[in-house]
Amino acid sequence: MNNLVFENVSLKFGGITAINNVSFEVIPGRLFAIIGPNGAGKTSIFNCISGIYRPTEGQIKFGDNHLNLLRPDEIANLGIARTFQNIELFENMTVLDNILIGAHRHLDYGPISSLIFSKKVRNIEVEARKRAEDIIDFLEIEQFRYSYIMSLPYGVQKRVELGRALAMDPEILLLDEPAAGMNNEETEDIARFIIDIHEEMKKTIILVDHDMNMVMDIAQEVMVLNFGEKLAQDEPKKIVTNEKVINAYLGGGS
Amino acid sequence: MRGRPNLYINYKKETAILSTNTQKIWFVFMIVFSIAMVFIATDYWILLLTTAFLIAVASWGLNIVSGFAGQISLAHGVFVGIGTYTGAVLGGVATDYVVGYELDMIIWLPLSGLFASLLGLLIAPIAVRLKGLNLGLVTLALVFIGSHLFSNLKTFTGGAGLGRKTAKVVLFGFQFDDGFNIGNVILEKNQLLYLFSLLVCILCGLGVKNITRSKTGRAYSAIRDRDIAAEAIGINLFKFKSSAFALSSFYAGIAGSLLFTVSGGVEPGTFNLLYSITFVAIVIIGGVGTVLGPLFGALFFSLLPGTIQTVIHSLENFGQGFALSSGQIERVIFGLFIIIFLIFEPRGLWGIWFRLRNYFKAWPFSY
Repeated sequence: MNNLVFENVSLKFGGITAINNVSFEVIPGRLFAIIGPNGAGKTSIFNCISGIYRPTEGQIKFGDNHLNLLRPDEIANLGIARTFQNIELFENMTVLDNILIGAHRHLDYGPISSLIFSKKVRNIEVEARKRAEDIIDFLEIEQFRYSYIMSLPYGVQKRVELGRALAMDPEILLLDEPAAGMNNEETEDIARFIIDIHEEMKKTIILVDHDMNMVMDIAQEVMVLNFGEKLAQDEPKKIVTNEKVINAYLGGGS
Repeated sequence: MRGRPNLYINYKKETAILSTNTQKIWFVFMIVFSIAMVFIATDYWILLLTTAFLIAVASWGLNIVSGFAGQISLAHGVFVGIGTYTGAVLGGVATDYVVGYELDMIIWLPLSGLFASLLGLLIAPIAVRLKGLNLGLVTLALVFIGSHLFSNLKTFTGGAGLGRKTAKVVLFGFQFDDGFNIGNVILEKNQLLYLFSLLVCILCGLGVKNITRSKTGRAYSAIRDRDIAAEAIGINLFKFKSSAFALSSFYAGIAGSLLFTVSGGVEPGTFNLLYSITFVAIVIIGGVGTVLGPLFGALFFSLLPGTIQTVIHSLENFGQGFALSSGQIERVIFGLFIIIFLIFEPRGLWGIWFRLRNYFKAWPFSY
């Protein structure tokens, strides 16, 4: 199990500073939440971790690996999975295929073996299918197994994306607004899934969300960002009473 | 399990190529029917069908790279050409002005595929950096480079206007030219070539099906749908785009090396832009990103001339012929079909077949 460490990371786009000198550490087994107003740099942090953006300054380390030197697929293969804020599923594939493709990094055969589809490949595929079915079962999306993504409602798509990330069997799971645009009931479902993933599957989770009730309920540690700068990092209980956080984001009580 | 024959009871059965009895029956029936054609059909139709099978193989190649992996390639004809000339040089007869080594087909057929796929790998680095139409333009440049080289490398291709003879079809020392006797039936070169092309077509088709039901096919579709998400899942874009181009060119090379052995000669001018575009059209008419689509498209494209000629001949009995030659009518109709399919049936002939099949599956209940 590896620690994810941010060391003085900055990300600049021309004159705009998306992340300004942010440092933090996520220890294995944590349910770590990042909150902050729109444009605070939450998703930028995710994009830096998964290699879609390169930090302008600073280091991102995962164990002994320097993530800022790796390609996105290499980072994913270290065991860092993510979901996206705007669902990035493969629309022209079925739910099952989307989840199977999450297991891509665990299927050990190449294009030429695919062409021949030997017995070994078939066994690997059947095993992958079993694991995919476990995930489908866990997320309660059995009836959508063969549906194409574009025909599914938003809430289900969010769940499938979580399933795809789970199929990667990652060490760290980055969840970018899993409850965005959901009603109370759906949010509760998602919160339940996140807790199960954290407690039963023993995954480290970094969570970004705007639903304060959910975040404060389930997170073990919360980091608050504002305009790319880190305001605070603490337990949820202490974050709610933090003066700076209340001014920037939560708002004072009447 | 009597009464529920279509119920899958394990995942192995579900991932099988032919997962239902109906599919198995049809598959065997189609193969038997195709083989029976050798004895039934006239030489003309045998010739058309042979080309259809080989064009299907080449179109499958294009479908892998464009339909599955979503990388536009307008240079598919060039790879067909590379396969043709690799085959012709390795298996052809040397003359005063062209080289030829008269090797066995078991050597030149795989090598044509491999050589084409090696050159296909050369485009892959470009494909990793460019997307969509920009990539299309680069491959377009490749068509012009290709036709220039084909016309000017005279020792290999015979040069523009002249051309050369293609590979001699000799498999394990057996000359296709000699014909083959079964009892008192003599199978001539055309018929043997037809059977061989059928075999190649079936094997290549199974290969495509295998790709779609494996990790590689899923990775291709993922790259086509959203390349950033695909990368974030751990798919190496360079590796899979390269393998898509290599596989696609391999299919093209195999098809190309056999395609012109039907007529016995080939002229470099064949591999022009129009030739490459034809494959794009076949894939669109057949059904982009489907397994059977390119086969439908290839059959349609190859059998169209025969059908039109038959129709025109029967019309001539009424006295006046048409102002256009049958070749011109064929091109007009083919162009018309591309437009019709793009507008009304984007899933191509496969889409029509799919709806028909589903209709009869539920027949007589339409819901």
